[in-house]
Amino acid sequence: MEKDSNWKISFEFRNSLSELDTLRRSLEEFGKSLGMSKKSIFQINLAMEEVFANIISHGYADDEEHWIKITMWHQDGTLILRIEDDGIPFNPVEAEAPDLECPLEEREIGGLGCYLIKCLMNDIVYERSGNKNILTMKKTIGEA
Amino acid sequence: MEIIEKKQNDILIFRLNGRLDSNTSPGLEEKIFEAIESGSYKMIIDFEALDYISSAGLRVLNKSIKRLKHNEGMLILCSMQDYIKEVFEIAGFDSFLTIVSTVDEALTKL
Repeated sequence: MEKDSNWKISFEFRNSLSELDTLRRSLEEFGKSLGMSKKSIFQINLAMEEVFANIISHGYADDEEHWIKITMWHQDGTLILRIEDDGIPFNPVEAEAPDLECPLEEREIGGLGCYLIKCLMNDIVYERSGNKNILTMKKTIGEA
Repeated sequence: MEIIEKKQNDILIFRLNGRLDSNTSPGLEEKIFEAIESGSYKMIIDFEALDYISSAGLRVLNKSIKRLKHNEGMLILCSMQDYIKEVFEIAGFDSFLTIVSTVDEALTKL
């Protein structure tokens, strides 16, 4: 864990689901240090897992090891999470939402993760820079 | 995640302890589908000791209920923490999954 003067914390994770537990512990520790509620910490963990799992499942065409960089900091009462990966371009903000009215048997489940992220975070911005996807998610700290 | 199972007459009760995420969901799917293969079609999943769920967990429940309905079976979820129930509501899963407050209440519905 590296901390700079603005208390930005950065981590690099391999593209493996085995990294999820370490990621979760880092988020919990940071969320608690900011006084976030159990529910808010749960929601950022959930959003982060959805992003991370999407990158791992769909982001890479090869079987090589890749690194996913996660940076978190707080600013003006908001927790900001930035995820950078070198996978294929993918914009979760534009992913199609699942049709919740659709009968169960016909329902497409793929867009569910992206839909949850958009519902649980206060703001989410995607940009493609060079060969990187950069996703920035914001969560208000004071929410119950 | 720990999965504890108990059979009560012809009803199978799974108690989940921990986190239902991308890593642990396949384990629950295996347990549920094994049970269906061996003829259990009435199930309760007790969420009291579960403190996390992601879309991977929701997907397993979706697959399970589809399969159980195909066999005229039933799945009831109970004892969810509020913030977990909220995820079911956001995802619209409360419209096709029965969610009740306690195991006893779930038993009266099967």
